[in-house]
Amino acid sequence: MARVVILGAGISGHTAALHLQRQLKSKAEIIVVSPNSNWNWIPSNIWVGVGKMTKDQVTFPLAPIYKRKHIGFRQAKAVAIHPEGSPDNPQGFVDIVYTDPTRVGEEEQLTYDYLIVATGPKLNFAATPGLGPDANSWSVCTAGHAEQSAAALETIIEALKAGERKTLVIGVGHGTCTCEGAAFEYTFNVEHELRERGVRERADVVYLSNEYDLGDLGVGGMIFAQNGFETSSKLWTESLFRERGVRAILRAHVEKVDPGVIHYEELDGSRHTLDFDFAMLLPPFRGVDMKAYASNGEDITEDLFAPNGFLRVDADYETKPFEQWAPEDWPKTYQCPRYANIFGVGIAFAPPHAISEPRKSPNGTVISPAPPRTGMPSGVIGRTVALSIADRIRRGDQATLRTASMAAMGAACIASAGTGLRKGSAAAITMYPIIPDRRRFPGSGRDLTQTSGDIGLSGHWTKLLLHYLFIYKAKARFGWFVIPE
Amino acid sequence: MEQMSDVDRSIAEAPLPTVKTLRRRKSLGYQATRFIAFNFRMMKMVTRAHH
Repeated sequence: MARVVILGAGISGHTAALHLQRQLKSKAEIIVVSPNSNWNWIPSNIWVGVGKMTKDQVTFPLAPIYKRKHIGFRQAKAVAIHPEGSPDNPQGFVDIVYTDPTRVGEEEQLTYDYLIVATGPKLNFAATPGLGPDANSWSVCTAGHAEQSAAALETIIEALKAGERKTLVIGVGHGTCTCEGAAFEYTFNVEHELRERGVRERADVVYLSNEYDLGDLGVGGMIFAQNGFETSSKLWTESLFRERGVRAILRAHVEKVDPGVIHYEELDGSRHTLDFDFAMLLPPFRGVDMKAYASNGEDITEDLFAPNGFLRVDADYETKPFEQWAPEDWPKTYQCPRYANIFGVGIAFAPPHAISEPRKSPNGTVISPAPPRTGMPSGVIGRTVALSIADRIRRGDQATLRTASMAAMGAACIASAGTGLRKGSAAAITMYPIIPDRRRFPGSGRDLTQTSGDIGLSGHWTKLLLHYLFIYKAKARFGWFVIPE
Repeated sequence: MEQMSDVDRSIAEAPLPTVKTLRRRKSLGYQATRFIAFNFRMMKMVTRAHH
């Protein structure tokens, strides 16, 4: 029986596991390796971060789901891939080290016929001295981090109620960060919470980002057709900042976070400091620390992984200027070029380049967003790779791989701007394609009929609906597969 | 007095929503139609582009 090992149980890896099990039933053994015991619907962490949801509402244990679906589960982290096996056995295997509290530190070698690398990002707080919940700023990247942020925010609100003035800084903690959308959401959820609690006028809310313009969101901004005009996401976002009284510092690379002081460099090379009482700054991402070895023991990590630690797949990684970036650069099948039975999905695959225009300060500091590949694209890619592997297991290695290029894929993004069934608000955005294609769609590079933005209460309802739908789907409850990624 | 940055200036010059627009963003009836319209658009995009 073929064995498929999936490293990671986030949105992409978990989606792949469920689809593989549904497709293959007893025809294959599916094993998921994840260092975490829980699944987390990360988009709702921002609500945990303002105390509107609990950690338990956005997470659930994976083991019972996998037991019910007959999927093997190892609570462990993968430390090395051996794609060529060992001198005695050519079958590929991975070295894993258990994080399961009952087996902590135990090692195991897991052989595989197909391997899906869905390890997500390493939260690289170390890239910026003083960044992160173990140092001088908060995060909402995990449900645990979000709970800590909520507790710190509560302390600030109490001080505001006592009549003190406070500065709250929310944004990204490095010039190469991604996930500006999450920082945007947290900014406006905090601002909403401050208003709800009657302390807004004593709080300065500052959004600190590496984006060149507001509304870039790591996808180079968008153009919407609205009321007979083409409107940019820049203007649209600036309007929201003006309406809600939020200050923005853009084109910034955070160099260091001292207690109460952020040191940052701007794109023009100037250096500044910003005092704060509360700071939630997202970290940059890199691939998890995993090695790769050939059968003779030679270290082939650099062949398998890009310098940023993400898995090389069927993308065009040739370095070229922004003007020459093309939709064809982006991967379609997510197959590793050197080993046909290894695939990289979700955040774990190495993108060929950014989507937003790259920029450097005169000091040589890169200050531009990395490309987002979370949420909808992650799920779609996980599903597509699962179906490709299921085809190959059923029909042999000649089965054509399925494709899911981000250049031929749309995405919906619901950026919450405050909670409440009557008082909530969110920016609801659709875009197609994710990777701009200026040959097909001259101008913005996206289809104006499928790229849209709307702000209002209904966006909050949609985000809440997606929260419940995706947790239902991830729990593999009745009819889960009908819910699209 | 602190000088305004380009970003501050750009935000200060951005259009503000009118009272009518703000009311519409909270109106249950109007938002119910937006909810249906957005979810329909999202499903159309999902079925066209993803499968």
